[in-house]
Amino acid sequence: MGSRWKRWFCELLRVPPEPQPPDGTPASIQTFLAGNNYYRWRVIQFCIVQFFIGLTIAAMLAAPLLSKKPHTAQFITVWTFIVAGVVSGWALAALCGLIRITLDYQMRWYIVTDRSLRIRSGIWRVNEMTMTFANVQEIRVNAGPLQKLLGLSDVVVSSAGGSTHPGASHAARFAGVDNGDSIRDLITDRLRQYRDTGLGDPDAHKPAPLAAEDAARALLAEVRALRASGVLY
Amino acid sequence: MTEIPAHIAAIARPSKKLWPYYVCVAVMTGLGFPVTIVVLFFKYHTMRYRFDAEGIRMSWGILFRQETVVNYARIQDIHLSSNFIERWFGIARIVVQTASGSAMGNLTLEGLTNCEEMRDFLYSRMRGAKEAHAHPATEDGLAGILAEIAGEVRVIRAALEKKRDG
Repeated sequence: MGSRWKRWFCELLRVPPEPQPPDGTPASIQTFLAGNNYYRWRVIQFCIVQFFIGLTIAAMLAAPLLSKKPHTAQFITVWTFIVAGVVSGWALAALCGLIRITLDYQMRWYIVTDRSLRIRSGIWRVNEMTMTFANVQEIRVNAGPLQKLLGLSDVVVSSAGGSTHPGASHAARFAGVDNGDSIRDLITDRLRQYRDTGLGDPDAHKPAPLAAEDAARALLAEVRALRASGVLY
Repeated sequence: MTEIPAHIAAIARPSKKLWPYYVCVAVMTGLGFPVTIVVLFFKYHTMRYRFDAEGIRMSWGILFRQETVVNYARIQDIHLSSNFIERWFGIARIVVQTASGSAMGNLTLEGLTNCEEMRDFLYSRMRGAKEAHAHPATEDGLAGILAEIAGEVRVIRAALEKKRDG
């Protein structure tokens, strides 16, 4: 879609500009976009659905005309108007759907920093999700046969909880990326920092015991004991 | 516990723009308008927010009163969402999720005009938002202990040098 049309639609729908990345080391910020084939994949899905809708409409509109009962001229006229109205409505809805798919593909961002991820998607309803890696419970990479053929996959990063409500799901979806494995590896690498359960339990704030820290404490105790013994004075 | 910014603490009610949005929502329910508008009227007028150092408290309702408390440290993820009509009114909603099994969002802050600022504030209070590395507290603790050891060793060295010099 041309940038002029895109700008016009975005202004009409008041779609906010590209999201700001969440806090993190500037060097660690990486922005991923849906793969080029994701758009093709969505258009193929759209065309299949529209094909079946078209077949259904055609069957419904043709059924009265196929009956053996003779039709009056008035009936034919009225029916022609109905057919024209339904087909025009369908074509308009299909055009709007195609515009929505195009904009949805272009206005989709997946941002990863060293601490968190942020995903923005949607045109009519804009959804932005922010999740810290400290809360991540699971990473999944999904790809169906056709997606595999197009070199696409969905990376789904989930936190704890059972919400499945649209717009409030616990899963951050990197939909239609063509580098799913590298995104998975990147997030897995980020998760290595965290050893707690990721459930916000108070104990999670306490650092995990480290051998180096224990050793340092033991050394401190020894040195203090040495000074306190008085042999040095 | 660090204090929260004054402008966040001052938020106690949704924006006034929420009411015309609710009217639009009620109109869109068609025949359900008379019931929906009454419910939303009381929801709007009784909705209260409180942001303190520990977490968020939200309440609304008269006959069926609902109150939700979410601790910042328990936030799992933050959703900032807005539909076309909300954006025309200049408002948005923030859905705060915890690890509970609620099918809906745990806490929905509606009628926010400064939603990005609020999102950044909530994000800054989430677990893991400020931790640049694995266990900063551990590393800080280790660094502190090592600094103390260095201090102790310095004292010992001074004592030994004094003894040597007679």
